[in-house]
This record gives sequence, structure tokens and C-alpha cells, in this order.
Amino acid sequence: MQTVIHVAGLHKAYGDFEAVRGIDFDVSEGEVFGLLGPNGAGKTTTVEILEGLRPRTQGDVKVLGFDPEISKRDLKNHIGVCLQATNLPDKLRVHEALDWFAAFYSQRADRNKLLQRLQLWEKRNDFYSKLSGGQKQRVALALALVNDPHLVFLDEPTTGLDPQVRLEIHTLIEELKATRRTVLLTTHYIEEAERLCDRVAIIDAGKIVALGSPRELQERVFGQSRIEVVTVHPMLGDLPSIEAVAKHSVSDDFKTLVVHSTKPARTLPDLIRWIDQKGFELEDIHLKRPTLEDVFIELTGKKLRD
Amino acid sequence: MLNSYLTQIRMNLRLTLRNRMALFFSYIFTLVFFGVAAINGGGGNGLQLINIVLGLGVLGSGLFGVGMRAVQDREQNILRRFKVAPLGPGPILVSGLATVLALQLPNLAFMVLMAHRFLGAPLPPRPFSLLIFVCLGLLAFASIGAIIAALANSMQEGILLTQLFYFPMLFLSGITFPITGFPMWLQTVAQFIPMTYFTTGLQPILRGRETLLDNAVSAGALALTTVVGTFLAVKLFRWEKEEKLRPAAKLWLLAVLGPFLLLGAWQMYAKTNIAKTKVLARDVARNRSSLIRDARLFLGDGTVIDQGSVLIKDGKIAEIYTGPAPDAKALRADAIEAAGKTLLPGLIDVRVHLSLLGLPITDPEAYQNPDANFDRELAAYLFSGVTAVKSIGDQPDMVLKHQATNATGEKLGAELFAGAGTDDRTYDAALAAAEGMQAFIAGRTDLLDRSLVRQVIPRDWFAQAKQSLNSPAFQTARQSARPVNLDVSKQSLAAAYRSGATLVTGTDSGLPMTVHGPGVHRELQLWVEAGVPPAAALQGATYNAARLLHADQRIGLIRKGYEASLLLVDGNPLQDISATERISTVFFKGERISRADIFEQK
Repeated sequence: MQTVIHVAGLHKAYGDFEAVRGIDFDVSEGEVFGLLGPNGAGKTTTVEILEGLRPRTQGDVKVLGFDPEISKRDLKNHIGVCLQATNLPDKLRVHEALDWFAAFYSQRADRNKLLQRLQLWEKRNDFYSKLSGGQKQRVALALALVNDPHLVFLDEPTTGLDPQVRLEIHTLIEELKATRRTVLLTTHYIEEAERLCDRVAIIDAGKIVALGSPRELQERVFGQSRIEVVTVHPMLGDLPSIEAVAKHSVSDDFKTLVVHSTKPARTLPDLIRWIDQKGFELEDIHLKRPTLEDVFIELTGKKLRD
Repeated sequence: MLNSYLTQIRMNLRLTLRNRMALFFSYIFTLVFFGVAAINGGGGNGLQLINIVLGLGVLGSGLFGVGMRAVQDREQNILRRFKVAPLGPGPILVSGLATVLALQLPNLAFMVLMAHRFLGAPLPPRPFSLLIFVCLGLLAFASIGAIIAALANSMQEGILLTQLFYFPMLFLSGITFPITGFPMWLQTVAQFIPMTYFTTGLQPILRGRETLLDNAVSAGALALTTVVGTFLAVKLFRWEKEEKLRPAAKLWLLAVLGPFLLLGAWQMYAKTNIAKTKVLARDVARNRSSLIRDARLFLGDGTVIDQGSVLIKDGKIAEIYTGPAPDAKALRADAIEAAGKTLLPGLIDVRVHLSLLGLPITDPEAYQNPDANFDRELAAYLFSGVTAVKSIGDQPDMVLKHQATNATGEKLGAELFAGAGTDDRTYDAALAAAEGMQAFIAGRTDLLDRSLVRQVIPRDWFAQAKQSLNSPAFQTARQSARPVNLDVSKQSLAAAYRSGATLVTGTDSGLPMTVHGPGVHRELQLWVEAGVPPAAALQGATYNAARLLHADQRIGLIRKGYEASLLLVDGNPLQDISATERISTVFFKGERISRADIFEQK
């Protein structure tokens, strides 16, 4: 499998402030690669270096075989980029926007198909200023695809959109994936990363703190599932030793018990048996795999949207 | 690559045409301005109007065209989107400049055609020079606008900075009104302003007097500003409003203005462009149209029209109407009501000595600046309605120099002829000089008290002359002067007139007590006293004198096609010759002379 993005020992300093302090990763062809991190972690800086918008201080970077700092024009010609918070002139019609940007590239996608795929066909003659937020974001996506790129950078493509539109855009990204296009996605939405990304890099304070598929990350951090038991009355008494339980904790009112297990299939029957023996009235019991959010909090000590 | 430029230009055009504000300022505004000025304009054939329309169009749409768009697009995060596309700031700026040309050139061409069709302005005789020069102007101002946009951090700052450039250029460049009346230091400041050079090139090219090559320095400076400005605008280009600029970067603005700072510094020394602005302002004044209505016309050759009107256009007499005057508005001329007045050809003095002051002055300073004396004396003639003089016995280099500055119009004064004395077919009595010499010898200063005389003598000289005539300094001169007898001179003149000699007025102004300027008026009065009929006397001061100067093909007569150098006086000099001194208006080569300002020329 071909490497589309290669980053090794990337550093970027703004004066005394080091925004990126040694980042390494590779992205292969056809992969959807996610960059997760809180604001100011160095995500945007990293992405902009890859897109050829910013020079780097140190390190090796190859994108589609180009050094983004040297072959800026060639690189931009072959990638698609959807930036956050871009606008178009008010009095520009949707189809004109596509034709306009298409003229800058050496290869062009079929604009009519693009309009249909992004459900903009009905709106193709409307002025940009008349579009809704979701429609504007779809235009931005269409512009990122106007040169039929093999590598697409999507910088928080669904931020601020309603769930319906977000789902549509998720579908679109899955379509891109199906056509073996490489996508580099930065996002605040954990579910988005979990659902769409083949691999995720978690960035904090200019460094990658974890990298792998969402599942790998979850397992690497905890290697265990979480069983949550809620009862009507306080659960008094010690938990006996149950197979595969790594640790457990009880809430202050003794009504909620959390058990971490490496083998939940074994742990669960033993746990229920113990509750029956004790005669606690069970209100709820569920098994939860750790989310990427949990991983993120565990690794960075921060919430994603701080 | 070319494709992205073309698309960029096409989209720029399309978006501008959809933008009501831009449309208003590019087209409607100029059209309305044109209309208002055309209805209101009066004198002139629209050339001056089209000059202003072109100048303002180039300045305004240039400065505000590219720059403000860029700042606005940056503020609204539109440029961000272009940042990730494979085109640099170069194509964006260059196609911005091209868009300004594409938007403005048809508009300006349309204005020229409108002025031609409705105001009778001639089509530009040098269209190629004009086109290139206008393009250079648009590009230069657009690139200054682009630099301002690159330096401004917000829309407000951009507008403020642009206006900081716009208003001085508007008011100091001479495009809206002539700057020749400004104090010298301000005129010098104006020489640092790019628009000044556009203005001093545009007008003569528009009139066909000069080509692009004659304005090579100005054109070069505009081109250089375009190149430097565009280059720097590319270097300093910012795609996003978050990108901030070092405050020191604002000094780059000076680099764009560099060519003009150099030109201005050169002009502080050379002053050639300042002289040119004067010539151009004179051109404008000479090209206004006037209609002198319902005057008595003395045509110069003895013919009199009791009620007639004269149309002055492009510096020439365009038409003579007998009977009731036509409507001035219909002729696009300023109306000058002249009922009860008499219009004569400008008077001519065929014998003056500009190196002599005509006054008993002892102050050595009065003799230290002969250049200024020449200028003042020639102005005094014009002030007195004498539009041509012939210098006798003055230094040829001085005469040539003042002929040159007068011919271009840089200095306002009577037309200066030079050469030997009268020929033998004409009789030139010089009675005024004889009278002056008599007064000099007798130590009388009453001749200086005559109204017109007092008006042309510098104030401090007047007092000095009155005092020093009888002082020891002039005693020898007065005693050794050859006595003259005015009465004998008068009798000789009368005899010459009776014998049919051609009489011309030559005053010998510059000789003692005959000051430069009003000599011809006194000469005419003395002639009439001697028995010459007023009409014959006036013919001697106009047509006959013009013939002596071999200039009777263009001056000395009120005739269609002749130069509009005319004297309008109150009353009727054919009945009372002293009426010539009651000057109402003096016209010189079509310009209505502001007599009050004529001694204040800088």
C-alpha cells in the first residue's frame, strides 16, 4: 500500500512558542486518517504545513510525493481542501463557484455529478448568500472535490451543522473512502472519528500522544470493558473476588457499581449471581466499551471541546 | 495558467456588475457628474469637462478598485478559500488590475464620445497616447490601492488610508481646479503627488498638444509605480485577517511612491512641472467660450457695428453677430453683457523700452532684477488693454526669454515683438513720450497721478518717483536732456494725417515719466487733441500697428478666425477718446484676464 502522507520529526515554532514538537505519522492510500486534539494542540498548524500553507521549522514531510514547502503549486493542484470558516462572494451562483475554482486545476471533476452528489443540483443557480449554513458547507465540500483529488483535507467539516446535515456529510466521506481516496480529517466530534476514521492520532501540546485505529486505542488504554450496575438500595458489603476484574469502584451513595473487566463475558454472570445472593434490587445493568472520548480524557486530561 | 487569469478576470467583472455599489461608483456616479457638469458647464466645448471626468475616473476607480475588494474579501474570509487553490497572490492582483482596465476603459471611452456628441468636444487627436496614458494612470493608482490594501488591517483602516491618498490627489493635483493660485510651497508639495503628473500629462495629450513621448518621465513614473506596487502587494499579500503585519512594513508604501518622491525632489530644483501646470491652467482659461453681447464693435479697420456680439471659442474669434445677440447658453458660452460698451481689438504699442523703468527711481534694488521688471511691465500692458508691444533696443537674450515664457502662457503679459524701429511707410508720433520728457525737464509729476498710471506703478515706487524727480540725483539728467516741444510734435502729426500717412501708436514707454502700460491711451488722447479723428487714432493703435508688426493676419482686427485679444471699455471712445481708459474687460488669446490678479503672478 502506497504512503500518501509521510511526516517525520515535524517541528514548528512561532518565535519562542513551539506549536508542534516532533510529530511522526504516515497515511496510506485509501485511508481515512483522523487528527483529534483540543484547541491549540497543533492540529491546524500540522494540517496547514501539509497543505503547503505554512513553512515548517524542522522535519521531513512528503505529501503525494511532494515536499509541500517546495512544490506548493503542484501539491495544491492535486489535493482538495475544505477549510473552516471560508466564504464566497455573496453574488456568486453555486455552479459558477465550481466552474471558477475548477479553472485553477489541471484536472477537473464532473461538476454536474458533484452538484447532484452533494444535493446542490436544485440550488445550482442560487446566489451563495441565499444558501443555508449546511448548503454553504456542502458547497465548500464540493469545492474541495472540484479537482477530483486523491487526497482530501477536511478541517472540521461538520462543526456547527445540524445532525441531519452531519449525517449527509458522513455518508459523503464514506463514499470518498469507497472510491479509495485518502482523507485527512480533523474533528472535535468523537463519534465522527470513531465512525469514519481507519486510524486516529491524538495530538496534545504539539505531540502525538496516541495513534492507531479507534479500537486499538481503546484497548491499548484500558484493555477492558466497563460494567455498570445500578440498584434501588445501597449495595453494602464487599465485592467478592470475581474472575477477570481489574478494578472496581462504588459511588458515594453505594447505588452504582462500576467494574472493569478484561473478560466481561465471564465477569457478568458471576456479578449477577452475587447481586441475587445479596438480594439487591437491580435497576439497571449495562456493558460499555470505552469510547474514544474516554481514551482522550485518559491521555490528555482534557475534554475535547475545552 | 492563462486560463486562471482569464477566469479570474471574467468572474471579477461578473461580480462587479452584480454589485450595486460598485456599479454606482464606477458608472452612474461618473455619468451623473458628467450630466450635471454638462448642464451647468457653460463656457467651453466639453474638453475641460472630459479632462476632469477622465482624471477623476482614473484616480477614483484606480485607488478604490483593486484595494478595497481585496480588503473586503479578506475580512469576509473569501480569500481564505483561494489560499488553498493552486494560484498565488500574483494572479489575483494582476487580474484585479486587468479588471479595473476592463471596467473603466469602455466607461471612459463612452464619456469621451458623449462629450463629443453632446458638447462638441473634439475627439482626442492622439487616441493611442491617450489610451496608454490612461491605462498607466489606472494601473498606477490601482497598484497604490493594492499596497494600501496589503497594509491595512481592516476595512476601516483601508478606507481611511485610501482617502488619505485620495483627497490630496484630488485637490492638489490640479485636476479639480488649477493649483497655480496656491502658495509656492504648496505647489512644490504638489510635485510629490503622483496624480499631479497624471494631470499634467492628461490635458495636453487630450488636446493633442503633446504625445505620450512628451510625457515619458510621467508615464515612466506611473509604470514604475505599477511594477513596484504590484510586486510589493504580492510580497505583502495576506489571505487571512488573522495574519498581522509588522508595523514597520507600512514603510513599504514609501517604496511605491518612490518614483514620485524622486520626481518631486527633482522638481524642487527644476520647477519645470510647476511651469507646466501654469501653462495648462492657462490653456484651460484660454479655451473657455465667451459671448460678448450687444456691444458697439470697432473692428479695427475703421468699420463700426453699432450693436453686435462676438463669440470667443478656443482662443479665437469664432463668430461675429450683428443685431440682437444670440443666447449664450445655446452656444455653450459665458455671457458677457456689454450694452453701452465698446469692443475694440487689443491695443498695440509698437515702440517700448522694457529695460527702462519710465520713472525717476534711485533705489538700486529696482534695477537688480530685470527679469521681474520685464514680467511686471508686460503684465502692466495687458492690465491696460494693450495686448501686443514691440520692444526696441532691449537686450536680445532678455527679449527672447520673455517671448518664450509669454508664448507658452507660463507668464501672463502682452505679446512681445522685437526688432528695429518703424518703417518709412508709417508715421509714429510718440506724443506721449514728448509730453513725458517735457514734464521730466520741468520737474512735474502730475502725469503720474492719472488713474490708469497709478494703478500700474508699484506702490513704493510711486512715492519715491514723486520725491526724487526734483532731487540732485536727477538734476544733471534733467538739465542735459534735449528739450522737446509737444505742440510742434502735435502739428507734425496733424500734417502727416492730412497728407494721408499711415499712423501707428508707438509710445517710447520707458523714457522718463512714460510708464509701461497705459502709454497708448495717453497717446490716443494727444492725437485727438492734435486733430486726428478718434476712429483714425484707434485704427493706428490696432490694425495699422498690427500691419507694422506683420501680424495683421491674426491680430489687430475683430474678425472671424483672429486671435481673441480684445479690449472692452465703458462708453464710446469714438466720441470721447478717453473712454479707452475706462476698461471693463481685457481678453487675451481667449482668456478673460483677471486684471486684479495680474501683478500677483508667482
